[in-house]
Amino acid sequence: MITDISQIKDSLVGDDPGNWLLQGPTKRYINNYHWHQPKVGIVASYTPTAQNVEDHFDIFRGVDQIESFAQATVVSCGTFSQCKKMNVVPETLAEMFVPTFIHIGSVYFHSYLEKGQTFINIGFIKFFKWKQMVCDGRIYKVPQGLNLDEYFKDFTEERLLAYDLSSDFLLIAELFDITGRGIKKDMFENLQQLQQQRHNG
Amino acid sequence: MDRKEILAGLIEVLRTVRTVDPAKLENVTEETDFMTDMNTPSTELINIAAKVEQKFDVEFEDEDIDELGSKVKDIIDLIIKVKARTEAERGE
Repeated sequence: MITDISQIKDSLVGDDPGNWLLQGPTKRYINNYHWHQPKVGIVASYTPTAQNVEDHFDIFRGVDQIESFAQATVVSCGTFSQCKKMNVVPETLAEMFVPTFIHIGSVYFHSYLEKGQTFINIGFIKFFKWKQMVCDGRIYKVPQGLNLDEYFKDFTEERLLAYDLSSDFLLIAELFDITGRGIKKDMFENLQQLQQQRHNG
Repeated sequence: MDRKEILAGLIEVLRTVRTVDPAKLENVTEETDFMTDMNTPSTELINIAAKVEQKFDVEFEDEDIDELGSKVKDIIDLIIKVKARTEAERGE
């Protein structure tokens, strides 16, 4: 756990996702950060477990792919940049703001992922302002046995934006306008009340 | 710039927002609520704020948006506050 701002590095690469994704481990769908430029985007991987595919034909659900992508991009990148901006640690930020998943644009699935098949989320930041982040990107299945840290060691912004990967990465999904926002806790509660009032007529 | 002029400018901005029903702009007042009266998605408020920045040549801080209410008058109040803050910073 990050307890002091000095523990936050210049990027997420090599950091423990548990430091940034504060939900419990069974709902955390990122294992490693391999490439990250705070104003540009990220490459982060995950390998679905038996628990992740239980009761679903040993297939990692599409909705969980979207969740993984959002965790890699709007949650991890957004939290990192906001912590840097406010000079606070993630736990402090979480005490002040509720991380909300507020919009999904379009998602196109091209293939599927089975238990044990590592994939990468490759996402870039389209908009980040007032704690709202919008990202586009793709999910690729990783060639078996590939060392992702080594592969992305010299990756660049240009290559990220062009999805410049070797041909043995298999396209799984394309995602557009994945949007998250940190909403101040009291405002979030007001919003909930407002929604309830609208619901009640 | 008075409140009436700001409201007119704000309505111009809202006409460019895809999720805002143009028919609902006919009777907009300062008491109109984006969420309850116009059914504007909460995500869209950020896009509206970004367009308002451009239209009125102001720059909102994180805290301005954190505290922003959902009524038209809240945005008008914010524009006036931020314009005054900007002028004070420029020493005007």
